[in-house]
Order: sequence, then C-alpha cells, then structure tokens
Amino acid sequence: MSRDYPAGTIRTEQVWKRFRADQQRMLLRDRVEQAARRLRGDRGEDWRWALRDINLHIEPGESVGLIGSNGSGKSTLLKMLTRVMYPYAGVIDVRGRIGALIEIRAGIHPDLTGRENIYLFGALLGLKRREVAGRFDDIVEFARLGGAIDRQVKFYSSGMQMRLGFAVAAYLEPHVLLVDEVLAVGDAVFQQRCLDRMREVAEQGTTIVFVSHDLPAVQSICRRGVWLEQGTVRVDAGIKDALAGYRDSIEAQSEASARVGEPLQLLKYEVRGEDADDTTLHTDEPVTVELTLGGDYRGDATLHLGVSEGTSSPIFQISHEIRMTGGDHRVACVIPRLPLPRGRYTLWTGVYSIGKTDGGTLMSWHSAGQFDVFGPMLDTPPRAVVMAAPVFVPHQWED
Amino acid sequence: MGGQRAQVIDEQRGQAAPPGVPVPAGPPPELVFKRRLRPLQVARELWAARELVRALAERDLRARYKQAVLGFAWAVLTPLALCAIFTLVFHRAVKIETGAVPYTLFAYLGLIVWQFFSNTMNQGALSLANNLSLLNKVYCPREVFPLATMLVATVDMVIGVGVLGLMFLVFWTAPAATFLWVLPLLVIQFAFTYGIALILSVAVVYLRDVRHLLPIITQMGVFATPVAYPLAKIPQRLQEIYVGVNPLGAVIEGYRKALLYGDAPDARMTLIAAASSLVFLIGGYLLFKKLETGIADVA
Repeated sequence: MSRDYPAGTIRTEQVWKRFRADQQRMLLRDRVEQAARRLRGDRGEDWRWALRDINLHIEPGESVGLIGSNGSGKSTLLKMLTRVMYPYAGVIDVRGRIGALIEIRAGIHPDLTGRENIYLFGALLGLKRREVAGRFDDIVEFARLGGAIDRQVKFYSSGMQMRLGFAVAAYLEPHVLLVDEVLAVGDAVFQQRCLDRMREVAEQGTTIVFVSHDLPAVQSICRRGVWLEQGTVRVDAGIKDALAGYRDSIEAQSEASARVGEPLQLLKYEVRGEDADDTTLHTDEPVTVELTLGGDYRGDATLHLGVSEGTSSPIFQISHEIRMTGGDHRVACVIPRLPLPRGRYTLWTGVYSIGKTDGGTLMSWHSAGQFDVFGPMLDTPPRAVVMAAPVFVPHQWED
Repeated sequence: MGGQRAQVIDEQRGQAAPPGVPVPAGPPPELVFKRRLRPLQVARELWAARELVRALAERDLRARYKQAVLGFAWAVLTPLALCAIFTLVFHRAVKIETGAVPYTLFAYLGLIVWQFFSNTMNQGALSLANNLSLLNKVYCPREVFPLATMLVATVDMVIGVGVLGLMFLVFWTAPAATFLWVLPLLVIQFAFTYGIALILSVAVVYLRDVRHLLPIITQMGVFATPVAYPLAKIPQRLQEIYVGVNPLGAVIEGYRKALLYGDAPDARMTLIAAASSLVFLIGGYLLFKKLETGIADVA
C-alpha cells in the first residue's frame, strides 16, 4: 500500500465525506439540547454524503480538470487534497509540496502595506522569508501593483487586493498545484495571466488539479477530466470526452424541464443543408433553419435564434420579427455560409412579444436540439489560451 | 447518452465506478478516518511553521501600531491604570499588607502576569474564529494561531517588564538575588496560558456563544487570582486545590517571593502548579488536535 510514489502524485482511495444535513447551529445551548436528546436515545442526526467512494490516481505532471454541477463535491474534494478538510473515510495521499492557487483575500490585513501582506501570505503558504524576498519582484510584477506596494492595502481597489492575494500563490513552486475557481474574479487580462502562469507551471512538470465552471478554460489547461456527479466520479477520461459527457447531461436536463402553459410552442424544427432532403451540414455552405410555431397568440413578436457549442459557449444570435395569427406559423432562415467548424452544436430559440401589451415571454429561451457540422477542424490554440467561440473564418495564408 | 459514453470510457481506463454499478451505501468501517497523532511529526510540523507564527504575530503588532496613535504605549497603559486603581482601593481602602515591599510594585508584578494571561486568552480564543475563511483555504498547523497571539502578549509582557525595571528605580529597590527562580515559573505560566488558549480557541469555533464567556472570565479572573492580594489571603486548606485549578496563583506568588522578598518559591505549590499546567497544556493540545479535523466542516 505505502509504495514510494514520486512527488507530485495524488492518490485517493475509497474517499467518503459527509456533512450534517440537519439544522445545526453552533451554540452551546444547542449542544445541551442535543445531549439531552441523545440521552433519550434519539440521535437526531441526519447526514448527507458529499463524496462517495472517490478513487483517483493522478501521476506527476498530469493536468486534471474537475468538473460537475454545483454541489457535486468538486470543492470538497479539492479542500481535502489541500488538507484543509479531512475525509470521513478513506485514504488521501498527496506527495510533495502542495500549492493552492486560491484567492486569499481573507488573509489580507487592511492596515498593512502590500509589501507586508506579501510576506504574510508567503508565510501562510509555507514559504520562508528569503524565498519570498527572492521572488518579490516577480510577485509585484504579476499583481501589477507597481508603486502601490508600500501603500496600506485598505486603499487598494478590490481588484488589486485580489491580485495581491493571488500573486503570492502563483509564485509558489509546488509539486501539486490546486486551483479553485479563481478565474471568476479579475478582468480578462488578469485571467489570461493566471492561465499563462498555470501553463508555465504545468510545463515544469507540476501536477495540476483545476476546478472551474469555466469549461473552455478547463479545456485549455487540462488533458484529463474528472466529472463528478452527486459526489461520485461519473467520468474519468480525456478532457474532451469528459466535457462532452458533462455538456450532454446539462443539455438533457435543460430539455427535460418542459415549458408548459406558454402561449407559443415550438412544434417542429429542422436544420438542413442546400437541398431540402440533405440533413448533413457543411462548414461554409448554405444552411436553412426552419421552425414551426403553434399557439393561440395573435400579434407581433420577435423570434430569436441562437447557436452554442455545448451549452456554455454561445456563438451567435439572430432575430426576426414575426406576426402570429393564432394558428401554426412556419418561418425559415437561410444562412448562406455556415460559419461553424466541425463539431456538435445546440440550437436555441425563444419568442418574445413586442410592445407592452402582453409584455414578456411567449416562448422562453430554450435549447431546441442539436446538430452536427462536418468540415474542417478548428485549429488548436496554444495551451492556456481559451477559444471562447468556435467560428470558422475563411482565410488564406501567405508566406 | 452521457451515461453510455461514460461507460465506454470507464472500461478503457479501468478506473472510476461506471454509472451502472451503484456505489455502496457507506464506506467500509475499517476505512473510517481516525486522527492519529505522532508527537514527533506534530513537533516537526510546528517547528517548520515557526516563521508563520512570527509573521502572524508581526501582523498583529504592526496593525496595532498603525491603528493606534499611542501604539505600543497601550501595552503599558492598561496595567498601569489597573495598578493605580488597585493601589487606591486595595492598599488605601482595604489595607492589604505587603510587608516591606511597596504595594504598587507588588500589584504591578501580578498585573503583568494577569495581563499576559488575559490578552492571550481573549485574543487566542478568537484566533481561529477570526481566521475561519483562511483556515478553509490554506493548510498549516492550526495551533500556530493561538501561539501567535501568545507571542504578541509576550511582546507586551516584555514591555511591561521594562516598566517594572523603571519602577524598581523609582522605589529605589533592586530585584532580589533569587530572581533566577523566575525561569521555571515562566515555563509554568506559558504552559498554562497556552493550554487555556488552545481549549478556548477551538471551543469558540464549535460553540459560538463561548465567546460571550470571555469578558466574564476576564472580569472575575482578575479578582479570583491573587493579583491585588497575596496568595495567603486564600484559606490555607484550600490553597492546594486553588493552585491546582489556577496555577497562576502559585506563579504570581512565586515571582513576588523571588523578585521582591528574596525567598525561593514554595516548592509544594510550585510543583502542584507545574503538574496542573502540564495537564492543561497536554489536555488542551489533544482536544485541539482532535477537534481541528472538523473545523473546515463547521466553518
């Protein structure tokens, strides 16, 4: 069991974690009540499993994205890898120095200067004073603090505070780097810096575990994906397959939520190529989207169409005014050159009334279904660069 | 669709439970996590975190220095003010007998110890609760937080001792030749204080209303401890029990004997205090280490 794994290895074996599900306040008198109940033989405890039977083996240098919906246990697992939280059962073994790329604004003391806080963070993250001193300039540069470094942190903007906390963590040199949802904060430039830094670290052979809802960012960094669902590992595979499975499941859920009782319904839709019976779509060729709407509504309305890759990367939206006459209405949209590279896409649609008579939704925005496009693959971006929307742009190179 | 795909992948990699196979209802009981404390490992970890203790204490000291106009003067003003009150009330009104020793010196010595204890207790008790969001994100041995507050209190105590030196000058007396007895007494004082801080800090995390007890303990403690009066005021037959519960009584009494009266501290009382503070320290440490595993769950 206790083999000698090299630094950078992460192993979890049959890891279980549970939390209290019952209402429990942290007061002395509640504990007294609880003890009284226990004496009467009523334990009154209710537990909820947050993680069940997690078995993972991550080799040094692997970059793993943890994905899953809210409450699936991603952050709990990450906390246990950080050793902040302890499992209920099972073995967690993380070899080597652990660095957590986390937003630690919590530790910032507003009355101290940026410089003083950097040394404090360094100590919190386990760095020696001279190690921080050695990287001090890099840290300041990364956080883009410049002249503000000797100013009290309470006079910093919230963005500066966040970058300060993050920059120290970014310059750890760990064997294992754990990243939790850091990209949610900070502007686009800073996000790209974080991704670049993660790529650098990954290329030095550091193991990375990345938790984020920003799926394109996860895809840009990670080679392997672990999809958690309700506390168990649903898929552990290459990042593309894991993300595809996860996106499909989100789509299935959003389609399942039926829109009953709305004035308009989508009766039929079709996405086809040039000929009426040609259902294969090709990049840069004509495409027709045909919708049939039904319902009692009479009057003017705006029909919106959208296309996304998966559910999270919207690509484009178009809209058109229609007049509903109380019966079925067929409308077609011709796109002469489809700007999508090869892949699977989702078609979204919704209808909204014009003016203030009815004011609002006639058919709420929802995904109608998926379609596949054949054609050239999108060129791969360099690692750690997020391609938000896959759009095919006709182009020619000249040397 | 997703499920199908998942199954194929799982077979390829040979890991992770395929979604078709239900996960067992609970973990095998032999795998349930138990906290094992290896003293050597704990000590090594704490030693490795010494820079963190220093950095945390430095944070508090710097922050205090920046916030307050008077800065470190507060470390001296509080015991001096109390000392003045005590001199008025206990010396003039109640007529506490201190022999050849000036009462002000007598009371101030007790106040230094009390101030150290009450600072560590009050700040230490909240040291985890005030840093919960940090504890939820960064790993470090948790006992450094109360330890850092004790270090801050130690700095205050050193300043207080400096003022004590001035007082010796003012009253034109010198510390007695037995002053080396101070060293073992200091160890008892630190052990007991840290033990209490450990217990309270983790108690406040789990039982938020414990923090409301702190002012009460502080208010009562200054009178329940022989700060303003000698230990002899406590009935002879209760003294041993008293010192067992509150080792600070023997510590303060010992300091006075060693520094002011030129006597060795009472051996019996000192030993009881030493044993008691060791129990507080070890018991508090074990409790702390046991409960620390759940801090992130309740934070």
